[in-house]
Amino acid sequence: MAEKKQKFEDKITELESIINELENGNTTLEDSIEKYTKAMKLVKECDEQLKNVEEQVNKIVLENGKLEDFKLEDNN
Amino acid sequence: MNNDKYLTVTALTRYLKYKFDNDDHLKNVYLKGEISNFKSHTTGHLYFSLKDETSKINAIMFSANAKKLVFTPTDGMKVLIHGRITIYEATGNYQIYVDEMLEDGIGNLYIAFEQLKEKLSKEGLFDSKHKKAIPKFPERVGVVTASTGAAIKDILSTIKRRFPICEVILFPSLVQGENAAPDIVNKIKMAENYDLDVLIVGRGGGSIEDLWPFNEEIVARAIFDCNIPIISAVGHEIDYTIADFVADLRAPTPTGAAELAVPNLLDLKKHIEQLRIRLNEGILKIVNYQKLFLDSLKNSFVIKNPLIMYDNKKQKLDSIIEKINNLLKIKLDKNIDKLSFIKNSYILKNPEIIYKQKKEMIVNIIEKLELINPLKVLKRGYSVIYKDNKIISSIKNLSKGDNLQIKLSDGIIKTKIEGVENI
Repeated sequence: MAEKKQKFEDKITELESIINELENGNTTLEDSIEKYTKAMKLVKECDEQLKNVEEQVNKIVLENGKLEDFKLEDNN
Repeated sequence: MNNDKYLTVTALTRYLKYKFDNDDHLKNVYLKGEISNFKSHTTGHLYFSLKDETSKINAIMFSANAKKLVFTPTDGMKVLIHGRITIYEATGNYQIYVDEMLEDGIGNLYIAFEQLKEKLSKEGLFDSKHKKAIPKFPERVGVVTASTGAAIKDILSTIKRRFPICEVILFPSLVQGENAAPDIVNKIKMAENYDLDVLIVGRGGGSIEDLWPFNEEIVARAIFDCNIPIISAVGHEIDYTIADFVADLRAPTPTGAAELAVPNLLDLKKHIEQLRIRLNEGILKIVNYQKLFLDSLKNSFVIKNPLIMYDNKKQKLDSIIEKINNLLKIKLDKNIDKLSFIKNSYILKNPEIIYKQKKEMIVNIIEKLELINPLKVLKRGYSVIYKDNKIISSIKNLSKGDNLQIKLSDGIIKTKIEGVENI
């Protein structure tokens, strides 16, 4: 799936690979700092994504394909 | 009273038994109904009743036939049986002697299940190479199941508890009955248009008939064809349906499906915190290492005493200048030596000797020339004969009357040949 925004999962994967690179220490200082900056940005974005998104409202698809909020009938 | 018209019970019973036993229809009876009062005797014979809503018949299955059963009959089970009807004289009850018994419905369903499973397996629909990976952090989860009941409730509450930031979209579907399979197929296809990361397809527990739509071929194919990773969640842990085999991942229950579909937010937050710590430690390690390296450079002897470098170079320069001077001196000395050697040579010191030598040489040459002067020979009485200004040394080509010139030391004689003779 080609995405306009980077998926959360891809961010985590990229983050992990950058950290592994930094931990191996085979990069130049400039490169490391550049990578660190990028990784910090990813950490922040992931954090935001987990913190700021409000609890999602469940949706139900109607026969015509439209979405509507969905609440379970509270019967117990 | 005439007793003759009264039959004994035995006689009547025998009569009736005879009637029953000679009736072709009653010898070959196919019967369906529900088992009740089931008893398995220690001898292996089975005693039970077969009933429906309004009627009931006693049944007996002897151990020889009972051994062939592929299932364990229990009360309430719907069965198909074959046997003969006869009367048991001791009680006067008619009953069916069963020789064959099959589970009604379930047996057929079981066969259909096995056949479809084998067919789809041969086609490769269950192959692991077709299984799509379930994304670790879905942002949008689809659910195809009934909009009421335990399944959707369990799924929603589990996702809310673990990963509330995830959006759940329900595609409400029939999950039992004849129309369920096409509805499930329809909803799976529909789900493809909603940019879902993962799709849960399933229902809560029920009888094998209730779960049957998930054993239908069209449902299996819809799951296989769907481009979203699908987690199946049909019934309880022990229930396996065709949908489970073809799905990308099988969950034991709807709750299990929700747990497989989404991560735990708390775990995820912890994981990200761990990543942040590792990241900071990683960069600190690199910076510290580079700093140490820089410090070691700063403290190096050369950087601390830069003039040392200059001293070294200066010394080297001096030594080079000295070397060049030496080389020049050696070369100069050599030339001076050569010059003094030349100056002291014998010839330069006695130049007149050359003149003397040359003079002697000339005198010598003159004497030699004197010796070979032809005119001197003429003085001794020899002469030279010319013909047409060429010296004649043979009589060849000479003939009478030719003009000759004879050169002597003091003049020339012009003469004519009178005759030529060989010597």
